[in-house]
Amino acid sequence: MKELEENQMSPVLNIPVHLSRFGNDQERMDVDEDNDNIDEQHLIVENPSIDLEALANSYTGLAKLFRLIFISDVCPSLRIEALKMALNYVMGTFNVPLYQHIHKKLADIQANAAGNQMLPDIAAVSANVTPTDIPPFDPIWVETKNKKAAVKLEKLDSDLKNYKSNSIKESIRCGHDDLGDHYLNCGDLTNALKCYSRARDYCTSGKHVVNMCLNVIKVSIYLQNWAHVISYVSKAESTPEFSEGHSKDVNNTIVTRLKCAAGLAELATKKYKAAAKNFLLANFDHCDFPEMISPSNVCVYGGLCALATFDRQELQKNVISSSSFKQFLELEPQLRDIIFKFYESKYDSCLVLLDEIKDNLLLDLYIAPHVNTLYTEIRNRALIQYFSPYQSADMKKMAKAFNRNVASLENELMHLILDGQIQARIDSHNKILYAKDADQRANTFQKAVEIGKEYQRRTRMMILRSAMLKNHIHVGFKNNAKDTVSDLCVAAGSSCTLPRN
Amino acid sequence: MASALENFVNNVRTLSASENFVELVRYLNKSIDLLAKNWSILDNVLETLDMQQHTLGVLYVLLAKFLSISPTAQSTDITPLLNLTKDFICLCNRDQIRNTGAVQSYYEMCHNYTNEIISDPTKCLQGIPVLMQAIENIRTVSTQLTPIHADLCQISLKAKCFNRALKYLNADITEIATTEDIHSDSKYFLLYYYYGGMIYTAMKNYERALYFYEVALSTPALTMSYIMLEAYKKFILVALILNGRLIVLPKYPSQVISRFLKPLCQPYQELATAFNNSTCEDVRTVINKHSDTFVRDQTMGLVKIVSYSLYKKNIQRLTKTFLTLSLADVAHRVQLPSAIDAETYILNMIKSGEVYATINQKDGMVVFKDNPEKYDSADRFLKIQEDMNSVMELNKRIKKMEEEVKLNPMFIKKSVTQEDELSSKTIVKHFTQ
Repeated sequence: MKELEENQMSPVLNIPVHLSRFGNDQERMDVDEDNDNIDEQHLIVENPSIDLEALANSYTGLAKLFRLIFISDVCPSLRIEALKMALNYVMGTFNVPLYQHIHKKLADIQANAAGNQMLPDIAAVSANVTPTDIPPFDPIWVETKNKKAAVKLEKLDSDLKNYKSNSIKESIRCGHDDLGDHYLNCGDLTNALKCYSRARDYCTSGKHVVNMCLNVIKVSIYLQNWAHVISYVSKAESTPEFSEGHSKDVNNTIVTRLKCAAGLAELATKKYKAAAKNFLLANFDHCDFPEMISPSNVCVYGGLCALATFDRQELQKNVISSSSFKQFLELEPQLRDIIFKFYESKYDSCLVLLDEIKDNLLLDLYIAPHVNTLYTEIRNRALIQYFSPYQSADMKKMAKAFNRNVASLENELMHLILDGQIQARIDSHNKILYAKDADQRANTFQKAVEIGKEYQRRTRMMILRSAMLKNHIHVGFKNNAKDTVSDLCVAAGSSCTLPRN
Repeated sequence: MASALENFVNNVRTLSASENFVELVRYLNKSIDLLAKNWSILDNVLETLDMQQHTLGVLYVLLAKFLSISPTAQSTDITPLLNLTKDFICLCNRDQIRNTGAVQSYYEMCHNYTNEIISDPTKCLQGIPVLMQAIENIRTVSTQLTPIHADLCQISLKAKCFNRALKYLNADITEIATTEDIHSDSKYFLLYYYYGGMIYTAMKNYERALYFYEVALSTPALTMSYIMLEAYKKFILVALILNGRLIVLPKYPSQVISRFLKPLCQPYQELATAFNNSTCEDVRTVINKHSDTFVRDQTMGLVKIVSYSLYKKNIQRLTKTFLTLSLADVAHRVQLPSAIDAETYILNMIKSGEVYATINQKDGMVVFKDNPEKYDSADRFLKIQEDMNSVMELNKRIKKMEEEVKLNPMFIKKSVTQEDELSSKTIVKHFTQ
């Protein structure tokens, strides 16, 4: 029993790894992203216009908790409400470490508020918080939950051992799955992942394999281990009996779930186009998995990524006239308007609308780190599309269409031109943008000459190198090769070694 | 003592007369200590020998003289010796030096000669033709690299006279003359490419300079040489001036280099990063921060050119995006202090053909134009033709080299045994299955 208790306590110790968000795990995986995350983590959202209740209701399980905690991290005005909601929800699970974590956060805020009552801004935030508002730490709850969890764990463990000694494959698989479910419920993600993965050896049919993959994907998303997610999605999709053995309905659900998971992973790894494509393949009628993602999320992620990366034809074909995605768009009328405005080239109102929903997007756990990149992409795309039919364009009118003054528009255009995204040049004197007629012939000549030069250079070096190797020229360890510079001026006579044969 | 020298002279004479040079070199190598010990009366010995007939004997006597003066160099007057060397290099018999084991002594003498004159720029200037002659004496084809090349570059740099050395630098090396001492071969090889790069840098032929530094950097290495370190510093600076960014070194240089070079050149790396951001402010901060290092490395001049070239690079970027721009705007965008500075920069750049533009002083506007080159002139055509020819030459050479490799008995033996092994393996596999 003691051993079990220890076993049970260990997640308490490593839980911060999963909770500190979304930091550590990801940092280990992806150094590039790590910088952005640091940037984004400091961002503060001032004026959100979301209904926290409704938002929280569209998720269950850890997804709900993680989202609420994220909101409490970035948005001071909703901090306490979100944490309380999370606390209430976590009481219904076995997730003791998370309970302690959330409670500590709440207590910290309270302590801060108490300590800084002189400071008006923080006092304002916590004005409606009186100590009674925050439920006191409940050690009895913790105790009972811990005990219950331990008992359940012991039972599941012994069951599994039983199955193993009888070597009934199907039962062993179920046992592993149950154990995984239990760990997940307790918030021990690493062990949950281990259990789910172990079930792999006992899969007897394609159905089981897919099931195992779905479990692993679920936990990997919580862990933000995106490489894992992608590899298991492709594993599930390549399972031979993938489409068999299920009714069409169930099958569609699984496909949609896989697509959404893949989309999420691609989004997190900044492959926005792939993400958009995946999200667009989701089926509205079968998009029901609140422990991962809500339909309106699919709509927002998919819509924004598509807007940022698709060209006009793709947008028209895959988003606007797509019957399945249309249903998603109905969930987010604002985004629908944005996409339509964009397609109708009404960039002015499109950009205004985008700015309006920006704050809400920043409260979203998965898309927040990418909002700025995606917005810049969309803006650039709009600028490019605006200019594409013109030979010359008046920058004053253009500035009006994009809600900018001429000078900052000029800067934006300059970057686009330097990136090669717009083929144009700016007449700064008259504030007119002229399309550049590229002289293909001269360009080709120039390129050919350059490549010829490069080729000659490389070939010469190669010939020289072969001579080098032939004559065994190399810098060795012998001291007179090492200190070559230092004995430059010293007469070589001192180190001269004449062959005396 | 005197009789030993007489004996020496006699031996040299008889062996030279019978053209038994191999034997002679063996004898001379043995007697070098004897000569060095009797350095005071070597002049007498020289009088009895003829430079043309007894080239090898004279060579060793001269070498002994160089070896003996090195420790007491301050007091003795070395001009007679230098003149003697000069005469010797002009008058010696090439065949006696080539094709015998005395090549190394010949190089040794040239290196010593260089070391003696290197402190005095006028002597260096006089030494250039001597070393050129020395190279002509020893090399078999015009594309052969000898260790003396490095000496020639060194004294050219010291004398600040590059034109004569350019003839040698411009020839692309295809063969390398070596001696038995691989380490000193590598040293002079590296030095040649380092000094050569410096000469080209001084001549503002940055492209070629970059090539030379790159060769020095990509030399196979087990450990790092200081020459490579210095070459790498200049490589970074020249790459920034020429391309505006750090070019990646090819993959084949050994890992040692990339591992050691970068940490040792931190200030230069920082400069490159700042330069890449295209902000003059950053570059200036880095330069100020590390000015001690740059001055110590004697690269401050190049560093200054780098900072000028950033302004130029930024102005060139403007030409890509703007048709017209006011001088004040130009100054603002490239972070120059005033419109007048911008005007000077643009004026100079127009002059040197780095930018195509006209300045309208009346309303202070710059009108940027496209490159007027339309690739339809006869000159251009001729140039392309020449380029094509040289590429074809190179191709021919590569083919020849490939044929040589293919006909090399070692290569054939190796590839045949490999094939045998492969086929035997497959047979074994076949049987086991």
